[in-house]
Amino acid sequence: MATLTRQDLNFGQVVADILCEFLEVAIHLILYVREIYPSGIFQKRKKYNVPVQMSCHPELNQYIQDTLHCVKPLIQKNEAEKVVMVIMDKEHHPVERFVFEISQPPLLSISSETLLSHVEQLLRAMILKISVCDAVLDNNPPGCTFTLLVHTREAATRNMEKVQVIKDFPWIVADEQEVHMEEAKLIPLKTMTSDILKVSHSQLFCTESQVSWLQLKHRCSRISLKSRCKT
Amino acid sequence: FHPLPWRQRVAGGYMAAKISKLEEQFQKDAPREKQKDGTSSCIFSGVAIYVNGYTDPSADELRRLMMLHGGQFHLYYTRSKTTHIIATNLPNRKIQDLKGEKVVRPEWITDSIKAGRQLSYVQYQLYTKQKGLNYSSVCARGKQDPSSIHEPSKPSLNHLQSDSIKPQPSHTQTLSTEVLKSTHANHKANFTERSNHQGSQDTLLTNGYVHPVNAALKPQDSFAELQSLISTASPAKQPGLHSMQKDLHPKPTSNPGTSAAPQKGNLHDQTRVRLNGSYHMTPNSSTLADSSNPPGRSAAGAEAGIISEFFSRSRLHHISTWRNEFSEYVNALQSRSRAAGGAVFSGQEKLKKLRANCSSGSLMAAPQVRQSCILHVDMDCFFVSVGVRHRPDLKGKPVAVTSNRGPGRVAQRPGANPQLEFQYYQRKQQQRPLFFLNGVDLDLAALSMAEIASCSYEARQAGVRNGMFFGRAKQLCPDLQSVPYDFQAYKEVALSMYETLASYTHNIEALSCDEALVDATNLLVELGVTSDDLARAIREDIKEKTGCTASVGMGSNILLARMATRKAKPNGQYFLRSEEVDDFIRGQPVSSLPGVGRSMSSKLTSLGVSTCGDLQQLSISRLQREFGPRTGQTLFRFCRGLDDRPVRSEKERKSVSAEMNYNIRFTQVEEAESFLTNLSMEVQKRMEGAGLRGRRITLKVMVRKPGAPVEPAKYGGHGICDNFARSVLLAQPTDSGQLIAAEAIKLFYAMKLDVKDMRGVGLQVQQLEGSYADPSGQGPSRGRSIKDLLLAKQPAHSPRKDPPAQGRSSVIRTEFFKSSLRLSDPMPGTSKGGLHHPHTPNHVRTYLNVSIEVPSPSQVDQSVLEALPVEIRKQVEQSWRHREEQPSTSSHLSTPPRTSSSPPPGPSLGTLVLQLQNQPGQPCTTGIILELPDVSQVDPEVFAALPRELQDELCSAYRNKGNAQAQVGKKNPFPQLKQPAVGKLKRRYKKRNASPAKKGPSPLKKLFPGNSPAKSSPSKTLPLPLKHPGLKVSLTDVPETLSKFNPRPVPTLAGAYEFSDIRTLLHEWVTSISEPMEEDILQVVKYCTELVEDKDLEKLYLVIKYMKRLMQQSSESVWSMAFDFILDNVQVVVQQTYGSTLKIT
Repeated sequence: MATLTRQDLNFGQVVADILCEFLEVAIHLILYVREIYPSGIFQKRKKYNVPVQMSCHPELNQYIQDTLHCVKPLIQKNEAEKVVMVIMDKEHHPVERFVFEISQPPLLSISSETLLSHVEQLLRAMILKISVCDAVLDNNPPGCTFTLLVHTREAATRNMEKVQVIKDFPWIVADEQEVHMEEAKLIPLKTMTSDILKVSHSQLFCTESQVSWLQLKHRCSRISLKSRCKT
Repeated sequence: FHPLPWRQRVAGGYMAAKISKLEEQFQKDAPREKQKDGTSSCIFSGVAIYVNGYTDPSADELRRLMMLHGGQFHLYYTRSKTTHIIATNLPNRKIQDLKGEKVVRPEWITDSIKAGRQLSYVQYQLYTKQKGLNYSSVCARGKQDPSSIHEPSKPSLNHLQSDSIKPQPSHTQTLSTEVLKSTHANHKANFTERSNHQGSQDTLLTNGYVHPVNAALKPQDSFAELQSLISTASPAKQPGLHSMQKDLHPKPTSNPGTSAAPQKGNLHDQTRVRLNGSYHMTPNSSTLADSSNPPGRSAAGAEAGIISEFFSRSRLHHISTWRNEFSEYVNALQSRSRAAGGAVFSGQEKLKKLRANCSSGSLMAAPQVRQSCILHVDMDCFFVSVGVRHRPDLKGKPVAVTSNRGPGRVAQRPGANPQLEFQYYQRKQQQRPLFFLNGVDLDLAALSMAEIASCSYEARQAGVRNGMFFGRAKQLCPDLQSVPYDFQAYKEVALSMYETLASYTHNIEALSCDEALVDATNLLVELGVTSDDLARAIREDIKEKTGCTASVGMGSNILLARMATRKAKPNGQYFLRSEEVDDFIRGQPVSSLPGVGRSMSSKLTSLGVSTCGDLQQLSISRLQREFGPRTGQTLFRFCRGLDDRPVRSEKERKSVSAEMNYNIRFTQVEEAESFLTNLSMEVQKRMEGAGLRGRRITLKVMVRKPGAPVEPAKYGGHGICDNFARSVLLAQPTDSGQLIAAEAIKLFYAMKLDVKDMRGVGLQVQQLEGSYADPSGQGPSRGRSIKDLLLAKQPAHSPRKDPPAQGRSSVIRTEFFKSSLRLSDPMPGTSKGGLHHPHTPNHVRTYLNVSIEVPSPSQVDQSVLEALPVEIRKQVEQSWRHREEQPSTSSHLSTPPRTSSSPPPGPSLGTLVLQLQNQPGQPCTTGIILELPDVSQVDPEVFAALPRELQDELCSAYRNKGNAQAQVGKKNPFPQLKQPAVGKLKRRYKKRNASPAKKGPSPLKKLFPGNSPAKSSPSKTLPLPLKHPGLKVSLTDVPETLSKFNPRPVPTLAGAYEFSDIRTLLHEWVTSISEPMEEDILQVVKYCTELVEDKDLEKLYLVIKYMKRLMQQSSESVWSMAFDFILDNVQVVVQQTYGSTLKIT
């Protein structure tokens, strides 16, 4: 039986891979569910044994992929606090945020056998929750765009500049306007706890318009990074 | 008496037992020997010798001689106990080992016997290079009564001591001339004289001179320190110092005239006394203490008697003890009325009559609703009104109770710098501007520093406050009259006040000598009168009986009653109605809340909180973060006027302490040590008085603030001080003064203080529990546990208390306790060297640390288990079996010293105190061995080496094993040994066992006893290994990972963890009770807050929604109010954590 511990070099990588894969699926799904893009660009695929929607717009996919590619090293080092998907209206006011809080629980070791099926179950539950989230959310105004934010732990940004992948896809510090929402209401969607990661997916709801963001969490510096949205 | 330090028993198992046994034999033989040989004496009392190698006379003979002459003979050498080593020849190696010990030739003993007194061993020492020996001679010289050698210079000597910092030239002059004379007279100058000689040439060295004198009582080990002191004081005088050192071994024969004999006598007395460690007890030492203090000053808090004297005189102490007395008085009343089958309440009768007389409509408006009503009765400026009771001339005048009767002026003493202190106080008290302000400060120095205990309202109007210094008050209010203390009258008045109250009801809680709480809920219903009538009646009664006025505050709980009193004063009454509570409390300053003192209110001010209204704005989690969980919750409730403390006629004591900050002036470490010992005895006395024992010992010390004047403005006062406190947790509760002293001294050393700067010392014992099995615990006011036992009111639901059914075994235990106590008769403070001392309490620690844990099966790596020796593995497995079979039964094992090197985690439950007598390993009776789990650990030799009584005790205890089950012993001082090798393993387990599960007492839990399932067991909170049985956890990497990531406790509500359980719990809660208890609501809020902190928003959302549905459906509107309350609080927390609130639809 393969046994992995946190000390193993590739452990963080495994976690990051799983998580980024999930985030990609989730982002696509949110885009579909919240009707940010016309449903025509989405294709039905199967992931975690449940049907999901995935865009086939190459530029959009590239953007999401690039973003997550940069998030991955952060997650690997446990430096990402939240990944936030912000949905903004035409005036670029955030109306909705989908916050993925990521915390890596203290764990001793994992085994590949028990892990995979367990984590898959949890991720599946989250995906299903996302796909029905519009039941508890108000409709978004037309013409929304979205952007992805990463909340890093303390000094992660400094190191980020050094990482090659991130250099290719530079980040900027998010505007306060994008991070902050007035009169926001919180709707917890799903919390999953597995041995490798804990993601609580919640959504902030704002009455005026709509935004979504992805947030990887921590206490100190509330540095939010925004990748340029090409859409 | 026979000082047999417990320390040594503790040090090591087998040897300890053996040595003490040998000593006992020695003690037994001694009188016989004395009878045989008529020439006995006690010249060697306090001396314990150890004979090393061949000697003449032989070791046996020396042993006999020591027996005859009051000494002790050790067959084994122990550094802490053996005072002298007797040898004629030692190998180099041993000399190195024994550096710092007194190695003496046997002639010392024979010669001393010949001389009929203990001679100085100095000239008999085997190797003269030994450090410490030198010092001893210095000691002797320094220690001698100044009159014996410096007859004419005595006053100046003393003066030098007191003013060591500022030597006064004229005195030094006289001193040095005197000294010079003697120096010239005696060619072989001794150390003292020589240093005086140096001093005469260089004033700097007068400091250096003072040190040896001060250090006279110091043990030899501080010699090096002393030397360095001197050498730093006079670097230029090094040559002189060298010569001085060379002269350190004067031959007595060549020491003409200068009272060599008295010196020696003194030395020996001193050694003896010091070795006993309690030299303050001996008359000899007290004179020493006196002589080392300047005339006209008291003995600097160093003498034994002073503590009890201090406490018998101290007014604060005096008054504070009254509270206990009155509590007891109330208790006595209650029990008497119980015995009489109902009490006669004269006051009640009167009220009834009154009501009957004027049965008009007004009185019929008595509250029909049974609402709780607490009365807070407080005498108006108690001390003053008692003081002027028989002095009508003083009524209506500003009066203060103080010890000062003069004009408020005193002469200034040297060394004091009152101005500086006033400035300091002024800075400190800026929030209280009335205190030391304005320009009259000019001659403040000359003002009396007597504090005002109480002052009349007239005086208060002039700005006088309680606690103010009298001199200052006199300036503010020139007419101020002072009234002396009159403790007798206070007691009389207080007693009659309590009698008055008791004539109405017995639901009284004594708060102090002049205030009490009365739970009048039942009384009012019974009598059908309003609380105002009752209060009026009580006040009139008190006025009539005592001649003093009282104010009464009333409210639905204690907090409100006390606040109402403030409004009622002076001489009034006020009922704080529930409808006005909100408005009232919002305007109250936070400092008026109980428990909010200066430091807390300043902290609150920094949070922008000054009134209770401000405080209400803070969320409970915020408060708990700032002030800790309990205080936070209390504040949260108090500022809303919520208070569920019951009126308790019998209060549980939380701590027992003795503190003294008056007249503390130590010059040496030993004084401080013995002071601590004495203080510990005082604490012991109090603990015994209260029938309590405690586990946490706190040492509080006040130390002169750097830069503050050496002599405070107030005579004997502590001046400006820094406060330090340290505490230690014992493994077992104790009330032994010796144990406390040992710990206190250890703490004292850990603080590394300069004893000269100490201004106050306090000892506090917390974490109390009743001392059951107290052989003398028969008194009416003994510990609560005894009371409980006698009254059988509360059958032992508390694990701390002994179940009453175990009378027999507990008797055995008591005897056992006694015998071992006697054997190990503790003698703290006995160590020879002050600098060695810090070691000794360590032994106490090992001695007390006796728990061994066995982790649950799921937490043990099978491979590790397999690697263990067979017997040990069996034991571990057995303990698991045990655990399953009888979860409430503790199994005990004895851990004999011999096996202490092997690493067996014994068969005991989770965390158990090992107890010897329940399952003593007793190898002689074979039939029993099979039942004993700890065969492998029993060493027959050890058993044989134990004292006879102990063996008997063990046997009898063993026989009683059958009924002596389920005891978790708390009071077993038998030396239970920690097994060193287990330590490491154990600690690892401990970490894992430190389950984060929150199992605190919860009202919900109480409500649903069936519903606190195994959910809260550690298995839930150790997420990984149990969930994934396939996982391998190797013991080696577990501790590291665990220590790195401290897993968060999973939030639980009354032990419930899964959502479904929580839901059932909440459902039962809401459906089964019509009105939610406030505490439960807070519990739910706390749980929700924890969920937020745990980032489990989903569950929180579900819980909240579920509660919303439940509570808003409920017919009672209180429930929906409760929900709003919970939701509000949760939203605040969510807002803080996530920047937005939850959307609840």
